[in-house]
Amino acid sequence: MLKKRLVGVVTVKNGWAVQSFGYRRYLPLGKPECLVENLDRWGADEILVQVIDRSKMGCGPDFELLERLGKLGLETPLIYAGGIRSVADGVKLIQQGADRIVVDALLHDDLVSIQELSEKLGAQALIASLPLSWQTEGLGWFDYRSQISTPFQSEVLGLIQSSVVSEVLITDWQHEGEEAGFDQKLVDAFPLKNVSIIAFGGLSKAEQIRTLLQTPSVAAVAVGNFLSYREHAIQKYKAALTGMPLRLATYQSTFSLMASTDV
Amino acid sequence: MSDIQFCKRCLYSTAHPLGLTLDEEGICSGCRVHEEKDTLDWAKRWKRLESLVKPYRSQDGANYDCIIPVTGAQDSYYIVYLVKERLGLNPLLVTYNKYFNTPLGIRNLANLRIRFNCDILYQNVNPISVKKITRSTLRRFGSIYWPILAGQTVFPVQTAVRYKVPLIIWGAHQGLEQVGMFSHEHEVEMTRRYRKDHDLMGHEADDLLSIFDTLKEEDIWQYRYPDDHDLNAVGVRGIYLGNYVRWDPKAQHEQMMREYDYRTSAFNRTFDCYDHVDCFNYMNLHDQLKLFKHGFSKVTDHACREIRHGRLTRDQGLALVRHHEQAPVEYMQLFMDWLGVTQRSLEFIMDQHRNQNFWNQPVFGKWEFNGWSVRQDFNSPGYSESCDLPEIFEANDKLEHDRDAKYITIGKGFTS
Amino acid sequence: MSTLTIGVVDYGMGNHASVVQSLRDIGFRVRVSDNAAELDLVDVLVLPGVGAFPAAMATLHERGLVEYLQEKARQGRPLVGICLGMQLLASASYEHTYTVGLDLIPGDIVPFADHGVHIGWNTLEFTQHGPLWSSSDGEAFYFNHSFYYQGPAEYQVAATRHQSAFSSVIQRGSVVGLQFHPEKSQSAGKTLLKNLITGLVHA
Repeated sequence: MLKKRLVGVVTVKNGWAVQSFGYRRYLPLGKPECLVENLDRWGADEILVQVIDRSKMGCGPDFELLERLGKLGLETPLIYAGGIRSVADGVKLIQQGADRIVVDALLHDDLVSIQELSEKLGAQALIASLPLSWQTEGLGWFDYRSQISTPFQSEVLGLIQSSVVSEVLITDWQHEGEEAGFDQKLVDAFPLKNVSIIAFGGLSKAEQIRTLLQTPSVAAVAVGNFLSYREHAIQKYKAALTGMPLRLATYQSTFSLMASTDV
Repeated sequence: MSDIQFCKRCLYSTAHPLGLTLDEEGICSGCRVHEEKDTLDWAKRWKRLESLVKPYRSQDGANYDCIIPVTGAQDSYYIVYLVKERLGLNPLLVTYNKYFNTPLGIRNLANLRIRFNCDILYQNVNPISVKKITRSTLRRFGSIYWPILAGQTVFPVQTAVRYKVPLIIWGAHQGLEQVGMFSHEHEVEMTRRYRKDHDLMGHEADDLLSIFDTLKEEDIWQYRYPDDHDLNAVGVRGIYLGNYVRWDPKAQHEQMMREYDYRTSAFNRTFDCYDHVDCFNYMNLHDQLKLFKHGFSKVTDHACREIRHGRLTRDQGLALVRHHEQAPVEYMQLFMDWLGVTQRSLEFIMDQHRNQNFWNQPVFGKWEFNGWSVRQDFNSPGYSESCDLPEIFEANDKLEHDRDAKYITIGKGFTS
Repeated sequence: MSTLTIGVVDYGMGNHASVVQSLRDIGFRVRVSDNAAELDLVDVLVLPGVGAFPAAMATLHERGLVEYLQEKARQGRPLVGICLGMQLLASASYEHTYTVGLDLIPGDIVPFADHGVHIGWNTLEFTQHGPLWSSSDGEAFYFNHSFYYQGPAEYQVAATRHQSAFSSVIQRGSVVGLQFHPEKSQSAGKTLLKNLITGLVHA
């Protein structure tokens, strides 16, 4: 049976792994490599590394970071987001070790390139990032470079509907980092019904995650800040979500301190 | 490092090794989280702490309720006081031999366990391994403290697994207190990730094996973090009292000095007399290396803390920093004798770790400091090189206590 | 047990680091190469791969690896294809344009219905049994593909269900195909690779 996924998110700004609150406030966490390898050891179903200051600075994807991550010997699928400007960028990221990539700026700027990426890499490698918020007229699609929300463009919806990308990453950017802040309405009101959704932003409580996992269109749930506050955060969420179609929690063992007679 | 920026309120900069962010008003993440100390309902948070520890109380008194990592300094007295006297728990104290032990620190530690009447476990890793590791980490990372940080952060966790005492109680979370890495309300707990990333500079015990040919498994296995499987089987959990108690080290130490005879000492390189009295090197050689590598030293940490608590103005803090930061390093000979290095080779190694962003060498052999305190804007009206340097800390003893300055050897008896 | 050497075939499609690291962690020696002489010296060949089938076959042809791999398979050299690498073992693929593959395990590579994609952790149901596979039956592995193998039942070793059941593990002689990514499947993946490779060599 195909399981749903609990994705661990590492947000990178200025080379630092950070906690991100409402796309506005940031608190330092440490080296991205340390957070990524920790999620790998904990058994996250996928790891999403999002580098959030690349498009704003116009410098393209952080290939160096991906190269450093490649040396860690990770055994968990890796999704890269941040700064993808072109087909060449996307292809290079996959060649450098990313399993899947997320496009955000390209959705606003260049749908043709997304089409071409899909032909070269396969739709399974592409995820469309949709930071959403609930506006008076309905769902607003946020452009983090201009800081403006607009209604969906029909070409964008058309592109997603035609399976050029495999999944959409719906981020409740306003409630990011807020305890139990995720607005379920963003998923329920999403206009495209047969598109797989990864939900993200303000997910901290098992009950919210349970509700999302029970929603047919949701394929995965992503958690960021809240994974950094305690040990075994991934395993603890999974333990609280038994009965849900998730892979069970695993606890790595290499050099046990406990006598073998203890079972 | 042209883009290093300073907080408007404290003395920290964005070059802080733990990471530091500034908000739109130019106030740093550390200062912002510190503001919570004056807005949170601490009575309510104490109640949260009480209900958190409740399930860990041993039903039959047949095992300890928790583990407290202690030394002869830092916040040890206050933590044991809170846990034993205020929470009424039955703790097992654990301590790791740092080797650089001052007589005062040994005296404080003995006094701690006697006055609070606690059980205690000492861990000592053999000196040959410790010196081998120290030589390697000094040369490669410019650190003499790796074995100490590794041991202090892992021995309590290993003990929790071996003795099946799941709850470990720490004092304040360094990332939260210094750079506001977490809000108090996140109730951050101990993680292996933080230890590797920040306490161990990105290198766990087994990583040292792949970096250094000179080290073998027999030298480092004692510093291994317990497996996730073991931690989960026992339910190990490390909490920080600083998330539930309004943490104020100066006030806390002074209470412990009055009520439990904690004893303190003055230092050259800082105005604080309460932290780190158990180590001959922390406020000396280790502090000098910090200044070389990061462009600021412990006195800046102390100043920022006191500025945030409103006991120093920013200008007073800066004046104190500039007064203490270049003070001579003491007890170097003790270290050189212990490790078996000459002064010349030690200085050579240390110079290699001077951060070029903060140190210039205009003439060979002559170093110019261009660190944080030099780059601060100290032209504000309140600032003066010789402005009053408040003496707000009291030293009622000295590191040597009642004998000569020598590392006290654990397990050899106090009288030699 | 003397250490086995794995030859990871480098044909410019995708990143080998994960596969190489996993194999080394298990305890195998690993060489990455597209050179026939170097690959001749290894015990097991691994053909990884990410990307499109036609481009992959094109680069294999360019490097003279098509005949080479077919020859090695004929000689009984163990060969493990992973993800796109598994698909290349088949007779042909319908991805983009109809392209002929290595034809080592006869069958076709066809798209999932309605532009379907198969992403995530899914379980293997072994239809053939044996020491190579016993530890992995019912375990979940990471899949990330939009095309799948359709071929004779005798080559299917394990099935996985997405839309309907399809072959997630295929084998003919000492040539094996894995549709999922064992190198991205954490401990389940390492266990499977270890048992599979050791089993193939000592068969």
